[in-house]
Amino acid sequence: MQSISKSIPKRDHFPKISGRAKYVDDLQIEGLLHGKILRSSVACAEINEILIPDLPNGYFVIDKNDVPGVNSVHVVDDDTPVFSDGTVNYVGEAILMVAGRDLKVVNQILKQIKVIYHEKQPVLDMMKSDTIFYQYGYTKGDWESAFRDADKIIEEDFQTGYQEHVYMEVQGMIGSYENGKAIIRGTMQCPYYVHTAVKRAMGFESDKVQVIQEEMGGAFGGKEDYPSILGCQVAVAAYKTGKPVKVILDRNEDITCSPKRHPAKMHYRAAIKNGEVTGIDADVVYDCGAFTTLSPVVLQRGLICATGVYDFKNLRVRGKAVKTNTVPNGAFRGFGGPQTFFSIEMFMDHLAKEIGLDSVRLKERMVVKQGDDSATSGKYHFHVPFPAMIEKLDQISGFRKKRETFRHQTGRYRSGIGISLVYHGCGFTGSGERDLIKGVVKVVKNTDDTVELLTAGTDMGQGLKTVFAKIASDTLGIPLEQVIVQNPDTDRVPNSGPTAASRSLMVVGKLLQRAAEKLKQDWKPGEYQEVVEKYVHPDFMIPWDLSKFQGDPYPDYSWSANAVEVKVDTLTATTEIVGAWGVYDVGTPIDMAIIIGQMQGGFLQGIGYGSMELLGVNEKGVIRNNSFSDYIIPTSMDVPNLVTEVVENTYDNGPFGGKGAGELPAVGGAPAFVEAMENALGVNLHHTPFSQEDAMKVLEALKK
Amino acid sequence: MVAFSNGYLVDNLTEALKIRSEFEVTPYAGGTDLMVEAKDDAVYLFLNKIPELRRIYSDDEYIRIGAACTYTEIFENTLTPQILKDSIDYLAAPAIRNMGTAGGNICNASPKADTALIFYVADAKLRICSASGERILPIEDFYVGRGKTVLQRDELLVEILVPKFGLEHYYYKKVGARQALAISRVAFAGLFSTENGIITRFAMAFGSVADTILRFRDLEALFVGKTMTEAKSLRDDLIAKYDQAIVPIRGRVSADYRKSVCMNLLEDFLNQNGI
Repeated sequence: MQSISKSIPKRDHFPKISGRAKYVDDLQIEGLLHGKILRSSVACAEINEILIPDLPNGYFVIDKNDVPGVNSVHVVDDDTPVFSDGTVNYVGEAILMVAGRDLKVVNQILKQIKVIYHEKQPVLDMMKSDTIFYQYGYTKGDWESAFRDADKIIEEDFQTGYQEHVYMEVQGMIGSYENGKAIIRGTMQCPYYVHTAVKRAMGFESDKVQVIQEEMGGAFGGKEDYPSILGCQVAVAAYKTGKPVKVILDRNEDITCSPKRHPAKMHYRAAIKNGEVTGIDADVVYDCGAFTTLSPVVLQRGLICATGVYDFKNLRVRGKAVKTNTVPNGAFRGFGGPQTFFSIEMFMDHLAKEIGLDSVRLKERMVVKQGDDSATSGKYHFHVPFPAMIEKLDQISGFRKKRETFRHQTGRYRSGIGISLVYHGCGFTGSGERDLIKGVVKVVKNTDDTVELLTAGTDMGQGLKTVFAKIASDTLGIPLEQVIVQNPDTDRVPNSGPTAASRSLMVVGKLLQRAAEKLKQDWKPGEYQEVVEKYVHPDFMIPWDLSKFQGDPYPDYSWSANAVEVKVDTLTATTEIVGAWGVYDVGTPIDMAIIIGQMQGGFLQGIGYGSMELLGVNEKGVIRNNSFSDYIIPTSMDVPNLVTEVVENTYDNGPFGGKGAGELPAVGGAPAFVEAMENALGVNLHHTPFSQEDAMKVLEALKK
Repeated sequence: MVAFSNGYLVDNLTEALKIRSEFEVTPYAGGTDLMVEAKDDAVYLFLNKIPELRRIYSDDEYIRIGAACTYTEIFENTLTPQILKDSIDYLAAPAIRNMGTAGGNICNASPKADTALIFYVADAKLRICSASGERILPIEDFYVGRGKTVLQRDELLVEILVPKFGLEHYYYKKVGARQALAISRVAFAGLFSTENGIITRFAMAFGSVADTILRFRDLEALFVGKTMTEAKSLRDDLIAKYDQAIVPIRGRVSADYRKSVCMNLLEDFLNQNGI
């Protein structure tokens, strides 16, 4: 283990664990008004009329007519309105806000408002949507010949469900308007996204918008795009009322209207010749919900991952992201990867059965290695440590022997073990880092020789402040206490880009390291110094061409091999997770405890996605389980001690050899769990979440 | 007595019953159900400082559990039968067990109530008091429907009377969506005893399948007093009768799933007892 990997207490640990940390809802602000949003109760309608009661003094209704700039929230595209433009497109869409001193009165007013809808037939099934928001495709090799010459063609359909982030701290924001300036503070991953969006909605210049990130209680991607929407709403409310306005979603509201993981339907075909998989063809549909938000990039990543970690010489991948009258989906740890990775991993299991191999044998045989072309005709430029990882996984889980033991079981309890091999591409997809983000960091040395790191990077609990401080402290050779990292404020920090895409450590961390190196060379004790460092695109990358969907979408990849062992009770169809093991390559861990924490949390989230996290939308487009008693996530009682280990495979373009880590562990849990269920039940399975009820259906069918 | 803005805190049963008879109050023991959707205008009668409601003791016939005893207190008491401890072991999580009470579990009148299922199968009785007297009734007579009981507005549930004998040989299974903090989707409890080859006790209760916990005494009676051999010959008939009698409602899970689990557990209960 390298010395930088040695764990230290996380910077947010003591404040959060002691309850001293102040979240946005804890802030005391003079003259604060409480805002609550009136949301659509129907999935698709024109609003004929809104009947608003007489408002008590000091209470306000804020709607689209109060937006001083453009009634649109910039995410990737601009179709999301700040407040309804006269139509509603999903249950939970914001129509207007009521704000005032007393939240009880605000809620009473909200109840008295009547919205007269002219309802239309909503589109709830993604396969019936005729609005395609985005569409991409690519091929490699001669896929047509592969299918034409095949001995056998196998076709299967796969499906993955929603997933809710379940961050502990719900979405919340405070907007104020002072001296011609909009100030937004709250829980958010990407202050500059909020800044850009608010600027546009308010019609203000850059220097008239200030965005401050407050302490954050989890995000998992769920606070990448939504804070831009809420940020615009509170900015408009503060502008109209002249008072600071706070909006904190309650949990049911948060589950109803904040983004989720995109549900997906995927059709896969494989060409088999002489016992080899000679071609693969994937057709993917992602359900965006009512607005586009981050969907183009989510779909891009999903398509890049569609053929997994395998070296298919001939392939075709096509996909579209379509509109439905449901809550807009967005970023979630893995960002489009878990859906297609689930499909390809399950498909490989099924293909192995067709060929007459154990799935791990087939996977091992086909896994990519350094120098191979990637699916998108880029290259795997660096060492791919799968052989060693699979060996390590076998050592800690004993999966090879167990697979044999678990064949042909009878009796009340049935065991199974499943394996998945996945990656997560590190950093923004495609040429985003070079063309869109162009990250900048600033390192300031104060006259007392303390050093402050100024970036837009946010700590949502993943440990960013801690690892940034370690990188600077180790590079400069100064004590950690001398390094200051504060929550970003756009008036102070340059735009180093969003905290997303497993990019912060690898990309922003590297910029900080370079800046620190320069500062060290030029260190003048007792003097104020500044170093600004700008993103440099790695020159080894094969340029990404989105129109062809070709090139290197990422400079490097993080890899993982996962095993999950289950025991199914055939009387109740309940499943005990007996063991779960993960081996990860995230480059050099910059802090081992943080990395292990990330790996375990992500793995658990992935297992939840595969097993019990079922979110249902009814025939009227209403999410029917928007509470914690009905949206079930795993507890610590539901998993054994997760065993997670890292192999060190340094990435030279990352700080101290580090690369992306945060999202990787959430990718492999679901396919490993569902394959374990296949192994236990002796059938092929095709969807997540694979629930108790699904297992009972299989068991009842087997009885017959 | 201490009067708060949201209710009354009393330290003896007499005073509690007096307040209960004079005011419109919501009895509040642990608050773990009430606080989930707390009503701003509710007036509570806080019961957790009343010694008469916090005791666990036994007489010749019964283990008597005070209605405001927490799950943890019941779990840790040596008088508590193991079947009841098992149900508490799978109930919610430690924080809720430290606050929630058996009386609350019963009076909330959910067919999913974990401990109420055990009281059902065990033929427990409820001691209910008011300022003007008391009555004791079997737990099955206490429920009218989902969320509805016969408790009058001047009454309080004081004690749960659990028969001391015949609970040793039991079968219990709770099926939730996960291992902890789970609302049961199906819960099953069975009791079985024989004396000299004759079945003396045969009871089964099904939770979370209908508006109240289900017991079918007429079907149980088919086995009681029979020899094991006779019971074996009646097995298929009994299963068919239960198959007809259990008509689950759909909720968080489908009726089909509930039915499958009920029937599987019923059969396993019979198997385990050599029938």
